[in-house]
Amino acid sequence: MQPQKLLHLPTHKCTVGCPLLDRFLAGGIPCNSITEIVAENATGKTQFCLQLVLYAQLPPSRGGLSASSLYIHTEFPFPLRRLRQLSRAFRSSHPDHPVADPCDRVFVQGVYTADELVDAIPKIELFLIHSRSRFPLRVIVIDSIAALFRSDFDNTVLDLRRRSSLFFKIAGGLKSLAKRFGVAVVVTNQVVDLIEGEKGNSVRAGNLSALYSSGRPVVPALGLAWANCVNSRLFLSREDDGDADVDGSSRKKRRRITVVFAPHLPHSSSEFVITTEGVFGR
Amino acid sequence: MEVGMLPISASKRGKLLAAGYTTLHSISRASPSHLATDIGVSEDEACEILKYASQTSALDPSIGSSNASTLEGGQTAWTMLNEEKFATRITTSCADLDNILGGGITCKEVTELGGVPGIGKTQIGIQLAVNVQIPPEYGGLGGKAIYIDTEGSFMVERVLQIAEACIEDMSEYSHHFHNTVQDCEVKLHPNGILENIFYFRVCSYTEQIALVNYLDKFIEEHKDVKIIILDSVTFHFRQDFDDMALRTRLLSEMALKLMKLARKFCLAVVLLNQVTTKYIEGSYQLTLALGDSWSHSCTNRIVLFWNGDERHAYIDKSPSLKSASAAYSVTTRGIRNSNSSCKRIKMV
Repeated sequence: MQPQKLLHLPTHKCTVGCPLLDRFLAGGIPCNSITEIVAENATGKTQFCLQLVLYAQLPPSRGGLSASSLYIHTEFPFPLRRLRQLSRAFRSSHPDHPVADPCDRVFVQGVYTADELVDAIPKIELFLIHSRSRFPLRVIVIDSIAALFRSDFDNTVLDLRRRSSLFFKIAGGLKSLAKRFGVAVVVTNQVVDLIEGEKGNSVRAGNLSALYSSGRPVVPALGLAWANCVNSRLFLSREDDGDADVDGSSRKKRRRITVVFAPHLPHSSSEFVITTEGVFGR
Repeated sequence: MEVGMLPISASKRGKLLAAGYTTLHSISRASPSHLATDIGVSEDEACEILKYASQTSALDPSIGSSNASTLEGGQTAWTMLNEEKFATRITTSCADLDNILGGGITCKEVTELGGVPGIGKTQIGIQLAVNVQIPPEYGGLGGKAIYIDTEGSFMVERVLQIAEACIEDMSEYSHHFHNTVQDCEVKLHPNGILENIFYFRVCSYTEQIALVNYLDKFIEEHKDVKIIILDSVTFHFRQDFDDMALRTRLLSEMALKLMKLARKFCLAVVLLNQVTTKYIEGSYQLTLALGDSWSHSCTNRIVLFWNGDERHAYIDKSPSLKSASAAYSVTTRGIRNSNSSCKRIKMV
């Protein structure tokens, strides 16, 4: 057993597709760790992830990893049309990219239950070992982890304990893959409403005393046990802008990304928008 | 027989025994001329025997001293008190936290720090790994650190940030106290600080246990290690163990080994732990993970928690420190005092 040379251990980061967001994240999504993106539905988690798997194919000189990605989705169907749309935008902004169709470098797998995910980890390992082509697999996205656990488990102590140990098993497996192959793992999570007066539900984890989305206090799903399993947590939220536009068109939704906790990032937040071309900071 | 350990001929040995010299102590007390006349050998040979006797007793300290205690390692409480007064401590860079800890993290003891995600456990771990390297001229130990990472939260860029801030603080300190430019130069460089942190990454509980077993040999070869940080001790043990008794056994063995390392090499052991909820007295409360039996395994226990918008540390268990809590903050430069205006240290 030899200690690792720290100077030779710099963490690679993967760009998320927008220089403002990259700067907010001090370079992008880090490899060798699990980053969790928590948000209410329709806030932009999937958009973020789809953009990430495309931009991971850029060479390191442009902030990417020259890598292909594995997209594990638990909600069906997979947003293929949106991926194609983003891929067209990607190709028009990077015409010299060597891959003809960036969607070719995105491997998609649907998973229905938590046990299936646990079983999938050794298969992913085999895939990683054999993926030594020009674009090795270096990004794994799980969208979303919450869907696997929301229905199969009752609220009894035994089931919660079983659920808890599954969290650590999955996280342990993913972190081991992340370390051995230098993979960036991104996991998305949903939120649960925080009911006033029930103090037991919300344990403050991170920089914000309370998370708000769409004006309601929310708390990330899966509880304290899962919060211990991830390395960094980013919170996406949306707030309705009070006034409607003068000509009566729809209210603008302001979207915000906040660092809840991360070992390398200070507490900060930034606005972002979602357009047809993708997710961009403001 | 002690005399039997001497590398001399059998006849000389027989003469020594016949003359009544049975212990090395008795031989070394005699002068060469007395020894020569007593056993009937020349003075040169007697000098040789004395030389062998002093060499052998130097190698094995239990021989030759009639004042040795019957149980090895027994000490009087008075010696222990004197040792404790001069026990070295590692600063956390936060004055309030140092105050409630009696100066900092104590060497020769196992300290456990636990808290919710995002409270700053890894940050404190990294700060200690840098602070242990502060040279003695600036009040530190000038030692090296072992950082065992089980979760992958260790980011080299963050260590560089904290290391640079530490060096800047040191040169500012020396500017205040030294006049000449030569005195002001701080000899440390951020890359040098990185080189003095021995970083291990473990991916399963078996690797973790194997590494802790290996540390004894490793520290024998690197005697200037003064702190071991385990971040976090819990992660690999929260998976399903079919046999919980096995888990308890493994954890207590590991804790025992770490305690032995702390005492043997006079270093500090810092264990970072997670929190879980436990059903106590009708409600769910936060407690440190790994259960009740683990709570006995460390010398000091510090709980980190949020109080409003501030991070606080509370001494939960310690044989020598008063129960108190203090506020700290995590900044880009590392762990520092918190900026609140209210009274910071609270005695409980």
